[in-house]
This record gives sequence, C-alpha cells and structure tokens, in this order.
Amino acid sequence: MNSEDEIVDFEIHRFNPQKKEHYLSTYKVPVRKGMTLLNALMYIKDNFDGTLGFRHSCRMGICGSCGVMVNGKPMLACYTQVLHLNSNRLVIEPLQNMPLIKDLIVDIQPFIDTYKKIRNVLIKPEETLKKLEEFIQTPLELKKYWDLSLCIKCSICYSVCPAAIDEKFLGPATCATNYRFISDSRDEGLSERLKTLDDNIWLCTSCNSCTLFCPKEVDSSSSIIDERSLMVETGGIPKTVKDVLESVVKYHNPMGMHPRKRMEWAKDLPVKMFPNVTKAEVLCFIGCAPAYDPRSQAIAKSMVSVFSNLSIDFALLGSEERCSGDHILRLGERGLFEMLAEHNISIFKEFESERILTICPHCLNTFKKDKPYNTLGLNFQHYTEFLAEKLKNGELSLPKSINKKVAYHDPCFLGKRNEIYEAPRQILKSINKLEFVELKRNRENSFCCGGGAGRTWTEDAAPENRPSVERVKEALNAGVEVIATACPFCVTTLEDAVKVLDLEDKITVKDILELLMEAT
Amino acid sequence: MPKPVKLMETLIHDVVIIGAGMAGLRAAIAAANLSNKVDVAVISKVYPVRSHSVCAQGGSAAMLREGDSNDLHAWDTIKGSDFLADQDVVEYFVKQAPQEIIALDHWGCPWSRTKDGKINQRPFGGHSFPRACFAADMTGFYEMHTLDGKAKTYDNIKFFDEWFATSLIIDDGFVAGLTALELKTGRMMIFRAKAIIMATGGYARIYEFTTFSHTATGDGMTMAYRAGVPLKDMEFIQFHPTGMVPSGILITGGARGEGGYLINAKGERFMKHYAPEKMELAPRDIVSRAETTEIEEGRGFNGPYGPYIALDLRHLGEEKINERLPLIRDVAIKLSGVDPVREPIPIKPAAHYSMGGIHANIKTETPISGFYTAGECACLNVHGANRLGTNSTSDCLVFGTVAGEEAAKFSLSHDYRDVSIGNVLSEEKRIFDEILGSEGDEKVPVIRDELRRIMSEKAWVFRKGNGLESALKAVQELKKRYKNIRVEDKDSQFNTDLVGALQLDFTLDLSEITISAALARTESRGAHTRLDYPKRDDENWLKHSLAYWSKEGPELRYIPVTIAKWPPSARTY
Repeated sequence: MNSEDEIVDFEIHRFNPQKKEHYLSTYKVPVRKGMTLLNALMYIKDNFDGTLGFRHSCRMGICGSCGVMVNGKPMLACYTQVLHLNSNRLVIEPLQNMPLIKDLIVDIQPFIDTYKKIRNVLIKPEETLKKLEEFIQTPLELKKYWDLSLCIKCSICYSVCPAAIDEKFLGPATCATNYRFISDSRDEGLSERLKTLDDNIWLCTSCNSCTLFCPKEVDSSSSIIDERSLMVETGGIPKTVKDVLESVVKYHNPMGMHPRKRMEWAKDLPVKMFPNVTKAEVLCFIGCAPAYDPRSQAIAKSMVSVFSNLSIDFALLGSEERCSGDHILRLGERGLFEMLAEHNISIFKEFESERILTICPHCLNTFKKDKPYNTLGLNFQHYTEFLAEKLKNGELSLPKSINKKVAYHDPCFLGKRNEIYEAPRQILKSINKLEFVELKRNRENSFCCGGGAGRTWTEDAAPENRPSVERVKEALNAGVEVIATACPFCVTTLEDAVKVLDLEDKITVKDILELLMEAT
Repeated sequence: MPKPVKLMETLIHDVVIIGAGMAGLRAAIAAANLSNKVDVAVISKVYPVRSHSVCAQGGSAAMLREGDSNDLHAWDTIKGSDFLADQDVVEYFVKQAPQEIIALDHWGCPWSRTKDGKINQRPFGGHSFPRACFAADMTGFYEMHTLDGKAKTYDNIKFFDEWFATSLIIDDGFVAGLTALELKTGRMMIFRAKAIIMATGGYARIYEFTTFSHTATGDGMTMAYRAGVPLKDMEFIQFHPTGMVPSGILITGGARGEGGYLINAKGERFMKHYAPEKMELAPRDIVSRAETTEIEEGRGFNGPYGPYIALDLRHLGEEKINERLPLIRDVAIKLSGVDPVREPIPIKPAAHYSMGGIHANIKTETPISGFYTAGECACLNVHGANRLGTNSTSDCLVFGTVAGEEAAKFSLSHDYRDVSIGNVLSEEKRIFDEILGSEGDEKVPVIRDELRRIMSEKAWVFRKGNGLESALKAVQELKKRYKNIRVEDKDSQFNTDLVGALQLDFTLDLSEITISAALARTESRGAHTRLDYPKRDDENWLKHSLAYWSKEGPELRYIPVTIAKWPPSARTY
C-alpha cells in the first residue's frame, strides 16, 4: 500500500457451483493510476481470496476473455482503468444472458455456437482457391469492412442483447461478422449469407446495446440494418415484414388503417389541426401507434388533456401526418423511408412552430438522427424533455397524488439512442406520494421491451423468448405496481407480457402522459 | 479399437492437438484437410481466439515480391540467429512461407494492401527487404480469427475448449494419449490418440516484465520434458526492445518498421552507437542490449516505474499512425495514458519469445513416435539464438501445416497404443492429492512472484555465471517449497486457483532448465549474453543444447548445428 493509493470497495457477486449458492464478497483494494479492473481482480485473488473465479489472458483488450459487469455496465476488465470509473464502490457481476458457471465466469458456449450458423471464412468457388495467387483488394475495398473485422468475440454484445434470449437469433457479433464477409470484395457468398439470416434477423430490435457497449466500437446494430436492406432488395423477407411494408406503402402507416382515419381519435377533442392552422408554439407529431392503436390512443388523448390544462399553444398535423419511417428504415426499406420523410418534411416546411414534439421516441430518433430529417435544422423534442422544462420553470402543477410504487422503463430510442434519461425521471419523481424505484437494469443498461425495429408487428417468438416477458419479471421482482415508460411501443409490448404472465392484477403499464393526466 | 481404460472416462481421436493458437489451429486444418478419415481433436485451456497468438502484431515474413528471394530471407534469418539456426530447416521454412500467406488471404485474412490491391509488406528489424505481410498492427489477431473460422468448417475437427492438458502418456517409445482436466466440471479424462501435436506456445510468464498473456506458461514444454523428450536451446530467450511501461504490453516492432525512433534521455537516437547501418531496425537482441546499456549507464528517462527509453512516433503523423498502428495507439492511450501522436511511448526490453523448445526435426517429429510439435513450444530450429521479428507467426503457419500433415499421415498407418493404468493413476495422484489436496502453508502467488523476480534479476538480457548459479539454487529451493503449497480453492468446477498451481509447477521446471542451459553455455550468442563470456565461441559452442529430464534436474547434452550454404561469419548491422 502506497500513500498515493485510493481505497476502492469491490463488491463482487459470487456463485459457488458446488453449493449452488449466490453470495457477495467485498474487498478493499488499494488503487493507483494505471491500475486496471483486471489488475484489481488479480490483486484480490493473490492477496485476499484465491477462490475468486474470473477469466483473463492477454490483458491488452485483444483476446476478449475478461468481460464483466461493472456498476451495471459490461466492459473488458483489462481495458478499463479503475480510477476512470470515478467511483469508490464498484459492483462487479458476471455477464448476462449466458449460464453462470462460477463467480464471474459464464458459459460462453451458446455465444460461440452462433458462429456455427454462418460461414466465418471467404466463400469462393473451389477452382479460384486452387490457384496459389493472392486476391486483389484495394485499400478502399478493405476499408469497407475493416471496422467490422475488429470484433474480438468477447460476447459483451451478446450478453446485453434482448433478441439473444431467443437462441434462434445469431446475436449481434455474429450478424456483424456475416456482414463483414458480405462487405468483403473477395467474397462471393452473398445469397448464402443472406439465407442464414432470413428466419432470425428480424428478432433484432435495434436497441443499440451491442454497439453502445462494444469495447472495439463495432457497430453491429447498423450492420444488421444493412443486412436487412440487402434482404429487402433481394426480396428475401418473411410475410410478416412484407405485410408491414405494404401497409406503409398503401396507407402510410404500418397498421394498414386508412389515412383519413388518422385523426379520428381526436375528433371530439379541442385541438387545432393542419392545414386549418399553420402556426403554433408547439407542433405535435402524433405517430402511427397513438393515432391508430386503441391502447396507444389513450396516450395521445392524455397528451391533449395535459397540454390543454397547461394552456400550451399546440397543434397537430392532421391526416397529412405520415409514418415517420423509423421502424421502416430499421427494417431495411430505405427507399420507402425516404418517400415518407420527403412527405413529412414538406408539411414541416409549411408549418411554423418553435418546436416539434413527439410522443414516440422512434419518431424523435429518426427526426434527429437520420437523413434527410436531420438536415432541416428543426427543433425536435420528446414530450418528456418539454414537460421537464415546464416542471423546472414551475409551470407544471400536479395537485393529485399517485400512491404507488412506480419504476421507469427506459425506452431504447429515448435512452440509449438519444441519452434522454433524466427528464422522464424528474417528471415521475415530482408526482405526489409516488414511490419511484429503479429497475436493476436502467438507463444505458436498460433492457429493451422487444418492440423496436418493427418487431412489435412481426413478433413470432414464443412468450418465454420475448424480451418483454423478461423485463416484466424484473419489475415483478422489484415489487413494482406500475411500470411507467415514455413510448407507445414499450407500453404495448410490456402490457402484452403482463397478460402473458397473468399479472394484470399486480402490475399495470402506463405512459408517463397517462400518469400525468391522473395527477392533474 | 483400443482397449478401454476403466478408471476414467476415455475419449478417442486419431490426432489430438494440444493448444489452439496459431500453430495448433493451422495443424488442425492441415490434418483435417489431408483426409476426412482423420478424426482430429483440439484441446485448449482457453477458447481458441483467446490464445496468446492474437497478441502478435507486426506481421508475418514471407518472400512475395521481386527484389526479395528465398535465399535472402534465409540469410537474414540465419544471420539473425547468430548462426545457431539449422540451415536446412530455415531453407524449407522460407520456401513454404509465401503459400501460407496466400492461404490466409484465400480464407479471408484482411491483409493491409498496397495501392494496387496487393498484400502490403513493411520493413522489420533484421530483415534486409520489406517482407513483413501485415494486417495493420493486429496481424496475429487477424490470422487467428481467420484460422479459427477455417478450422470450424471441418466436420472432422472437434474442439475441447477450456480443457487443461496435464500429462502425456507414452507406451514404449510411442505416444499413447494424454490426461486433461475439463475446467467447467473439474473431471479428469484420458484422451487416446495415434498421434499428438504439442502446440502450447511459449513460457515468458516466468518473468515479471513480459509481453506475454497471463495464460502463456509453457505447459506443453514441461509435459514433453517429463515424458522424456528433451528441450532444446532453452537458454535463448528473446527480449523485445519495446515493452510498454508499466504493463509490458507489446508495442510492435512494426512501430520502428514504420519509422519510429528510439531516444535516450539525452534526446539521442542512441542506436547509431550500436548498429549504425540498421539503427532501430537491427535485430531484437542487439536493440534490447543497447537499451539495457543505455539504462544501466544512466541515460534512461526516469519514471515512476524506474528508468525507461522513449519510442517516438510523432514524426509519422496521426494519419499513418491511425492506419498502420491503430491498436498500439489505442492501447497506449487506454493503459499508459500516452497518445503516441503527441508524446513518445515509455518502453524498455520485455521477455518476449523462447527460441528454444521441444526438440524436433524438420518434419516436426520428436524422438517419441507419433508425437509432433510446432509453434513457439517447439524448437526445430528456425530461429537459433535470436529470432527475427515476424518470423514466428510464419513459423507457426509453416510448421503447423507440417505437423498437421505428418501427424495425420502417421495416424493413418498406425494403431492406438496401450495406455498404462499406472501412468494414469500417478497423474491422478499428482493433480488431486499432491497439488489440490496439499495442505501446506506456501502460497502459489508468492512462489510465482518470487520465481519471476529471480528470473528477472538473474537470467535477463545480461547474465553472469555467479548470478545464474545463485538463481539455479533459488529456483531449486522454490521447487522444494512448491511441494508444501496449499491451493485455497478445493472445488471442482472451474478452479482457476488449481490451474494457477499447475502452471506454476510447469514454469518452475522450465526456469530451472533455462538457467542450467544458460549457465553451461560459456559464450555470448544471439539473445544469450554472458558478461563473463562476452564473445561468440564457434569452436566450442556452435551446437544445440538438449535438456533431458532426470531426477536430479536437467541433464544437458549437445548436438551439432546443421550448416548448409552459410558458414558462420561476423554479425554486424
């Protein structure tokens, strides 16, 4: 121990396989600059407890052995300096989604086995391979797949993937490796490689956890979308997906409802609507689910009620509003997405407002992140951001109390993809008597409900393989009465899971707007 | 069919490969490819892509272009070896290397490319032509992932990942099988095989400051040694000139290949005093001695972890560093807090490679029939007293292929041998009673750290007779203390504490052999530098050492070096 050392508590979640016993061990480790998490684990093993089990090898971030969860986030122990975590208490847990063997060691065989389902080697005709000649590949062609080739197979992406709870899914890394070969100019196996994906790639919800936590910054999430695009191009898509896309082509919404009916939910409500109105302080983009889906309509109605109560000058786009295209883009149909965007943009241009609010995080995400929406210079916001501002300014008063234990489920497209974590929490915590609790997996490490990237309409997984079911179980374990969220798709999928688990008398799922209406 | 052994469960495969690093995987592919009748098993204590081979960075040497030649590659290798390499083996090695590079290209290795799309090659220490084929600075990583992908396309290769081999079973001069622990369950099993290939890598973890993965502990070398196969040229350990301070993590020789400078505290490119022509691109033994001399004579930089040398890449510019050396930039920033685009990287010599290893010939055959070896754990002998950078990965590929094919052929023409129950029982007793069951008061990490300290102090870049003598006594003392250890974890499942104890046991023998061979060799050659015998002595020492196991410790014998085209001459750069 050196005088410059800082003492950090390592709280390690242990598992003794012989006794089948889970327990906690806490160690005080003297830490100095440069010490990695792996150094600390080795220090514990050498000095305090030889029975502690963890894997490690290269200690330079290239062998992929030492993935662990640290304060709820997965990372490579050898590639993280302890002091960079800015915490004097570190909770260390094994990676998720894989069977536990001992302490921090999980069985990664299910992950390794996913590679058996793809060809992890160039596909070339036999005659070409017989010639003892190098292939020609320009530096530019190499660059196309280089970033994807950096995968070290550490299984971190797999451990956080909501789709991977269904073993049919190849997992993010394996899908990315498949796309790495598709993008390799030397490879000639495109159709075989796409075929591998056709019954499973649609399980990905685009939650982005894989990309977010990859220690090598491999963007698996995007490569899955790129693979879907190729499948859409070649027509190799299942009927469920085809139906969604056709509905959008015909009716401009994935539900296959007539566009004229888009504003039927609001027909008796006091709302201003384009084209009658072309100017308002706030323009609200309702989105397809709140417009057509009966359950989600309640959310839209709550918004009207809350906004009217606050005397906000707001307007809706009426039946001119079309699907934002977020799900469509992530299902791989870029052309259709661009048509939708073109239309919505033309309407945005005719309307004058300070900001455009969305109920749905998916609409928000595509407006803020995807071309051509993101080139408009418009002020897109999620309603939670807007209302949190009002709360801060003292303009949001909530006289009624809600005497319930409420957990917030972070929608991926609000949280992981747009880093809006605090606004929804601030709103919920401001409600009288509401007991706010965090789910074990929250914020960046939140577990997807399973509804993203069109899966809400294409779901065919058995209930036990649905992410929403796992998520609701997590809430049940936390003793939660209400799961609050801020996304119509999260509401629908989680509510389905509540029904599947037969928990309707124990847990309800609500959008924050609905709770706000109750509290006003 | 072989007769069953009752005591433990027995698995049977024609060819069993121990180790799934670069040589092991290449051997598996070659064996499986030779005939689909050959049933291959690969046993590895880690998942294949966790093997230390993924840490290889700089490249793989091969003659691909006009201006280069097999003879030039051979000559560079032989001169680099300080004339201890067997020249027939070197000639075969350089001839086979190019087709291995092309095979990897065919399987998908993302080689860095020239503007016109050909496999790019960079200059490297000791090579007189830019012949290091590279994939940025992650060559080993890419080669390994490529081999792993290819190996998994064969139905006749079965992987036993996270199985720890503990001993070889020999029957009357023939290999018969091995014992191994399945880490997940802790049960011991017997593998019976017609042929076995040892490909378990090096053992530089006997030192404190090393480029090596924690798992590279030379297990297979000791298993072979205990089974009666001699270990050859074990006094020759390579010290890499650029181990990053403080971790020892490798900074590729490619950093100097791309034009990096080595600077002392006076701001001087000091290599001009040691190798005026080749400068930073002199072979590793010469650069590491130069750095050590600079540090010992007070011209190192002072840092919190002791004196060091600076590796300056700033003049290469950010673009080149990002394109050619992305991994080392990332590693330096994340683990040493130094961005090589803006500051020099603190480095010093680090234990890096074992030129010595299991005695085998050009066909990778050891003195035991059916037992083959390739990669760093083998000594065939390509690298002599000092290996050139980028020759090791090529070695793994070339001789991995040879081992795979030879073992497969052997298995097709031979039957299984008997496994003696006595062997198995005594191994069971050793592992479970004498090591796991030992209730002494010595701790594995304490002995391990003590061993590393001794080796680092007394068997490092510069060695002296009296230092080596005291090191030998100290290591023998540690071997006695080891008998009195206590493994804290007594459970079966994934007992990493037991694995640590078994690895320590293996490294104690290897350290003893290294010191004994170094003490006996009263000359300086390649990486083995005796301050008390500073000159190369061809008259007495142009020969390979062979260390045989005996109850009293390693017994040294010597065999001649094969000299073909290139008689020994003065070695200057």
